[in-house]
Amino acid sequence: MNYFVIIYYALLIGGSCLAAHYKKREIFLLLFSLTLASFVMGIVGRESALWAVSIGAGLLALAAGIAYSFREFLIIISGPLTARALRTAPLTAAFGMFVIFTYAVLGIFAPIIAPYGEAEVISQSFAPADENMLLGADQLGRDMFSRLVYGARNTVGLALMATAIAFVIGALLGMIAAVKQGWFDQIMGRLIDVVMSIPSLIFALLLLSIFGTNMIILVIIIGIIYSPRVYRLTRAVAGNVVVMDYIEAAKLRGEGMWYLIRKEILPNSTSPLIAEFGLEFCFVFLLVAGLSFLGLGIQPPTADWGSMVRENATLISFGEITPLIPAAAIAMLTVAVNMVVDWMLHRTSGLKE
Amino acid sequence: MDVARIVLMRLGLGLVTLLVISALIFGAVELLPGDIAQSVLGQGATEETLAALRTELGLDRPAPVRYLSWLAGAVVGDFGVSLLNQSPVAEVIGTRFANTLFLATYAAIIAVPVAILLGVIVALFRNTIFDRVANIATLTSISSPEFFLGYILILYFSVKTGWFPSIAKVSDGMSFFELLERTFLPALTMVLVVVAHMMRMTRAAIINLLASPYIEMARLKGAPGWKVITLHALPNAWAPIINVVALNLAYLVTGVVLVEVVFVYPGIGQLLVDAVTKRDFPVVQACCLIFAATFILLNLAADIGSILTNPRLRHPK
Repeated sequence: MNYFVIIYYALLIGGSCLAAHYKKREIFLLLFSLTLASFVMGIVGRESALWAVSIGAGLLALAAGIAYSFREFLIIISGPLTARALRTAPLTAAFGMFVIFTYAVLGIFAPIIAPYGEAEVISQSFAPADENMLLGADQLGRDMFSRLVYGARNTVGLALMATAIAFVIGALLGMIAAVKQGWFDQIMGRLIDVVMSIPSLIFALLLLSIFGTNMIILVIIIGIIYSPRVYRLTRAVAGNVVVMDYIEAAKLRGEGMWYLIRKEILPNSTSPLIAEFGLEFCFVFLLVAGLSFLGLGIQPPTADWGSMVRENATLISFGEITPLIPAAAIAMLTVAVNMVVDWMLHRTSGLKE
Repeated sequence: MDVARIVLMRLGLGLVTLLVISALIFGAVELLPGDIAQSVLGQGATEETLAALRTELGLDRPAPVRYLSWLAGAVVGDFGVSLLNQSPVAEVIGTRFANTLFLATYAAIIAVPVAILLGVIVALFRNTIFDRVANIATLTSISSPEFFLGYILILYFSVKTGWFPSIAKVSDGMSFFELLERTFLPALTMVLVVVAHMMRMTRAAIINLLASPYIEMARLKGAPGWKVITLHALPNAWAPIINVVALNLAYLVTGVVLVEVVFVYPGIGQLLVDAVTKRDFPVVQACCLIFAATFILLNLAADIGSILTNPRLRHPK
């Protein structure tokens, strides 16, 4: 027993008592179950386990604080309509937006932020971290931190491009199918069924083995593999719009297919499509990361998070966590996008569980 | 329409899909710039050696004929000869496929009961703080790439504590329990991902069901909570739950590729990745066909399962 342990339990129990007094049932349950869990963890993992819990709680509080202030910041700088929507955003969504914002800044200003170039060899391989290198060197002696920053540009950029391609193909075909119907709709439907019944990673591997691992080809292949999902959604959403009276009126007016798609269907199906863009991006991003991890995605010396994990994986057997940082960066972005998408879906559908 | 006819139709549709996909996998290799012989021998090959290799591989026959003979072979497990070491593909794949199946089954046996139980519990405690914590935890698990989870497990359960081996090396002479210990970490990685998926889907299915009027009726007449769940909700929940399980088993099939590479497990996923890197097309085709077939079969099982457990279809008016 030392001062840390005493203060730790005093804070937890004091907090639960306060929560109970002010009838905050949820907070009380959380704090008190944490106290009970701490007894077990303290016995099994000694003091260090309790330290880990307090650090975790501190980080969580920090994240909540960042999310809260970032949401307030966004509300102040945006117009009245957006501000009203933003006020309904839960803290998780605000945190997601903050993470996405950070990644965007990192990606766009990568050459300014990174101290070294992405392929610049500056020290010995696997050199430990010092005042020049925040995270140490990788297997060829390049600065890990710089490569991490450039990875935000390369990996995320590639995933964004592939998602955009999937979207253009899928949404366009989906809307055309909804307007035209008949044989075009039927054939597209069956074709999409077939493409969707092949697991995407396997399909990507098959195509990559044939066309080789060129960046442009990679983007196109992934875009094509993921377009069926977008097609399905667009077809369903547009199918609901097409039966509306105003579409009938526009058709009677003699408007062509392009006019219908651009002026009538697209504006009325944007919100589900934007949410789908976020979800789709997560899938594509994970696939790109997976392929790069397998050595079949973005090719060296371009910095990329998936291949960085693979190349430095030997460090893990020495108990180092640096190879896990790029992987954590991948996970963080997908979680962030998912959180924002959850909120958007909730808002557009008015879904109340 | 009676159940048997619906099931038969669904089976037929699955068979057709499988056929189309086999054609797609075979046809994809035909898109190769030049042909297989060209890509094996490279640009510097003379016309004579090219012609010789083409006859050896049977490339001098037209594509539809080759497709049919490939398909006829694939049905009985003969996938041709590997371009790299000239050994029959079936021989290379045989034990590795068994290894992959073992790993996937291992993961599924742990994951399915845990996920369904947790999913039902979370659905019962919905909108409490536990539900929210579970939501964030499962979301994180789903959003992480498999190799992230795999390496975290290696770091904490192998490097730091030494409880389990970090490399899943298996050989023939191992006892069953040794095998279970060796493959524990890769199985656990897949369990983490699949449990998260399944939990979320089970929760959604159950909540959907609990909102229906007849459940409210059961509550209003005073039935105890567990009775509402087991007697009223569960019979109708089987269809969505079976669907969830089968879909996630299908997901396991693809997730296995990355996990096998992380843990250097001698399965079919790693074989596929190697074959893609070395451009060994017969092996790539065979692996892709096996993966796609498993995927389709599991989806088929999901559909048929939900048809068979649907009380409205089983007891037609």
